[in-house]
Amino acid sequence: MIALAAFYLFASVMIAAAAFTILSRNPVHSVLWLILAFFNAAGLMVLAGAEFVAMLLVIVYVGAVAVLFLFVVMMLNIDLAEVRSGFTRYGLFGAAIAAVLATEVVVADEAWHSGALMLGARQAVTPDNMPNIQALGALLYTRYLYVFEGAGLVLLVAMIGAIVLTHRERSGVRPQKIGDQVKRRPSEAVRIVSDQPVGAGVEL
Amino acid sequence: MSYLDSLALTAPELILSLGATFLMLVAAWGGDKATRTISWGAVALFAAAGASLAGPAGHGGSAFFGLYTADAFGAFAKSLIYLAAAICVIIAPRWFEVNERNRAEYPVLILLAATGMGMMVSATDLLTLYVGLELNSLASYVLASMAQKDGRAAEAGLKYFVLGALASGILLYGISLLYGFTGSTHYVDIAHEMGGSAGMGALFGMVFVLAGLSFKVSAVPFHMWTPDVYEGAPTPVTCLFASAPKVAAMALLVRVSMVALGPATHQWQQIIAFAALASIILGAAGAIGQTNIKRLLAYSSINNVGFMLIGLAAGTREGVAAVLFYLTVYVVTVLGSFLAVLQLRDRQGKPVEAIAALAGLSQSRKGLAAALAVFMFSLAGIPPLFGFWPKLLVFQAAIDAHLLPLAIIGFVASVIGAFYYIKIVKIMYFDDAADMISPDNGLVERWTMALAAMLLVVGYVLIPWLGAASAQATGALF
Amino acid sequence: MISILYSLTFFGHHMPWKAAYLLTYVGAILLIALPLMLAVAMIIYADRKIWAAMALRRGPNVVGPFGLLQSFADGLKVFLQETIIPAATNKGLFLLAPIITFTVALIVWAVVPFGPGLVVADINVGLLYVLAASSIGVYGVIISGWSSNSKYPFYSAMRAAAQMVSYEVSIGFVLLCVVLFAGTFNLSGIVLAQKGHGLGLINAFGVNPLLFPMAAVFFISSLAETARPPFDLTEAESELVAGYQTEYSSMSFALFWLGEYANVILMCGLNAILFWGGWLPPLNWAPLYLVPGIIWFLIKIWCFFFLFSWVKATVPRYRYDQLMRLGWKIFLPLSLIFIALVSGWLMVSGRIGGGV
Repeated sequence: MIALAAFYLFASVMIAAAAFTILSRNPVHSVLWLILAFFNAAGLMVLAGAEFVAMLLVIVYVGAVAVLFLFVVMMLNIDLAEVRSGFTRYGLFGAAIAAVLATEVVVADEAWHSGALMLGARQAVTPDNMPNIQALGALLYTRYLYVFEGAGLVLLVAMIGAIVLTHRERSGVRPQKIGDQVKRRPSEAVRIVSDQPVGAGVEL
Repeated sequence: MSYLDSLALTAPELILSLGATFLMLVAAWGGDKATRTISWGAVALFAAAGASLAGPAGHGGSAFFGLYTADAFGAFAKSLIYLAAAICVIIAPRWFEVNERNRAEYPVLILLAATGMGMMVSATDLLTLYVGLELNSLASYVLASMAQKDGRAAEAGLKYFVLGALASGILLYGISLLYGFTGSTHYVDIAHEMGGSAGMGALFGMVFVLAGLSFKVSAVPFHMWTPDVYEGAPTPVTCLFASAPKVAAMALLVRVSMVALGPATHQWQQIIAFAALASIILGAAGAIGQTNIKRLLAYSSINNVGFMLIGLAAGTREGVAAVLFYLTVYVVTVLGSFLAVLQLRDRQGKPVEAIAALAGLSQSRKGLAAALAVFMFSLAGIPPLFGFWPKLLVFQAAIDAHLLPLAIIGFVASVIGAFYYIKIVKIMYFDDAADMISPDNGLVERWTMALAAMLLVVGYVLIPWLGAASAQATGALF
Repeated sequence: MISILYSLTFFGHHMPWKAAYLLTYVGAILLIALPLMLAVAMIIYADRKIWAAMALRRGPNVVGPFGLLQSFADGLKVFLQETIIPAATNKGLFLLAPIITFTVALIVWAVVPFGPGLVVADINVGLLYVLAASSIGVYGVIISGWSSNSKYPFYSAMRAAAQMVSYEVSIGFVLLCVVLFAGTFNLSGIVLAQKGHGLGLINAFGVNPLLFPMAAVFFISSLAETARPPFDLTEAESELVAGYQTEYSSMSFALFWLGEYANVILMCGLNAILFWGGWLPPLNWAPLYLVPGIIWFLIKIWCFFFLFSWVKATVPRYRYDQLMRLGWKIFLPLSLIFIALVSGWLMVSGRIGGGV
């Protein structure tokens, strides 16, 4: 009963937050709504018994990805009037697409009733007494090892790509060399001038 | 099956990915000075990966709990992919040295892209399909904007990335629908369910999957990125885009359609037939007004994909064999064409891409003009040349599958398409010399190009062999 | 803790069990939150005293005996002030930001074990919960910086976003090393795994040569994660006035202050739990177990807080590029190497992995 209530709570808040993500006029507000949606998705994951996925959702999406979104969006100075003028231009087109999508949803709903939906038919069933993390790891490193390593390669490519596209060799810069700074001794850096007569001045 | 057996079956991907990682380390420490060494290392890796296809990796069957299948179909596509990718590695240093930094990451990215392509053609599970596709795409986005000094390259990379991400989203949506309604991501299980009680929902998923994949093969109506990306990307990269990933995506599309969606042939036939016709017509019509040779070749590739899709639309053994045959000839032609484009340089050594600059090429560069003419005639499918034969096979398959109207419209459109190919030949041979192209001494380009041109002229002797190979490869799917 | 409290309420009042359950949780939360606030007040006083002692000053010594009531006087002053909301701010978010910081600083304590069984929520992904909650903490700073609509808070928000995300990466890897040794994400389990870890004598992961460097990395990263000196670039007063708090006053300012110090205590506690035995006595020697676990835990927190304070008093502030260099170029590779070393060692010594 409570689980059901929680499900409807998380699901409805998530849908509402997702809607506000799109409807909100201020992009920063949009990102914040998006974060709320992520949170509720994590809540749904907890309900589904996947607490590990829920935590990862919060750590990765809320803690890192959305922070970077916010980082970028905060720096944008979006002129809202300009955005709205675009809206009138593409408004008709957008409305047409929306109508098409709405029809599709209706059709898909019909389809859902006609087709056989098998939620229980999991490809890889995990034993009940196994903790979430272990069960996931056991699958990832055995049955899905191949695609797991493939996903690793995808990340490698993403990293190489980011470096290739943004790294510039700059000449004429003098970066800080911490080793040199630490190695420096008083004898090389300081000259004692206290034995000079007063008023004679120092050589700079 | 133990993991060692599975590893042996995935030998080409292992060789390429481990080699790429090692070469990446060389690149990290050696910098751009090591590029040539890395390039030859990459070519050696492609050769090794190709050689490994002769072993269990070429016909060993299913690996990793059915995520991957090593069969003759995959081996056929992979050998084409590795050949094309290796050539794109070889031709790159000369172009990059003149125009840009000769970056050491280029061969590494191509190796990783080819790993992804190998995963795509061998995928027998939607997960492998997606990961392979993403690996290939992500590397491609980076390659497209490798030329940092050229604003068009940045535009190309960005367009490719945004539209590619959208296509990935559509594909994933389709995959999740298919999984939801059939309860599996394995091709065979999906086919089983599709033949049984999967219903409308799975068909919805199928439509989205096909839409996502048509983006990757640049079939109309998901073609709009092609001309801009082909024009903006560095020419060696364009050469890669037009050849290897096309093979991979087309092989992937064929395998998904025939194996996973086999029982729904009648449903997807209509979609593929529409995409085929639209691609042929739009590819032909769009090419007419182009002034840039790379854009023209982009439309030509859309057009050619349309012809291949006719073979797939037939949905028969002969049709698929014709697609493979077509792919082979197409790859040779398109590689030759881009090798020719690479040799178009002005007096300062800068690349020339305007079609008008080709005027009178037959006087200044006789060999180049002749080779380009051969490629153009072959792409148009003019009978004496080899490009005619796969078109014939494709139409034959369509007629055998009772798709006579499709074949007729396709044939008419190919006549229209011939117009712009012949226009290039006319500019080279009959227009007043513009005298903009300087002599060139790129030995590798010249001889590889000459070899490609020779193949297209005398290719008919290869028909029995190539026909047998494509038939054998097709046999693995049925 | 829950079970003890639960039996108290249940048997004492014969309530319906659901109501008792609810009451139990509320009680447990209050049992942590209220002493925590008291601890924050005292720890601010301690911070100022230590800092003063290192600068050869006296520190707060007027309000109450030895100045002990100084924090309460400050608190009272702040609470009686008017809350000023600048006109150009984004009001909703402006008020939301300190609440986020404060709430997040409190909710993490739900999984912290104070002693054997003394924990509100003994969940099996406890460590991930800590990471998740602390990664939300950055939103308080970012939102306050942006909604203030003022340039110094905004710069501060930018810095905070980059700094916290950077250091969370290496913290994550460090935690993985600990988890590999402990074999669980549950914080109580991690504490228990340290029993006699050092030659059967010392109850701490920190004495393991494979984990000591990670303990050092974690300590420094926790300084950065809580934006304490030398990593307090978000509120570098010589550059950014008071950073993201510049536009805040009164209650909302106090909430930031409380949340920050609660976070500092939490990080001290995590240092103790993950590497130095948590509520276990330092030595695996029977008489020491007679002292309640919570005493040991509080002593350890105090020791770490002294270290925090010591660093604050003595180390000059990092420049921004130095901060990023330390995070990405030193800690990240180092912690990655140690993950390989730790898991390699555990494989070789046969503690994990049953072979292929």
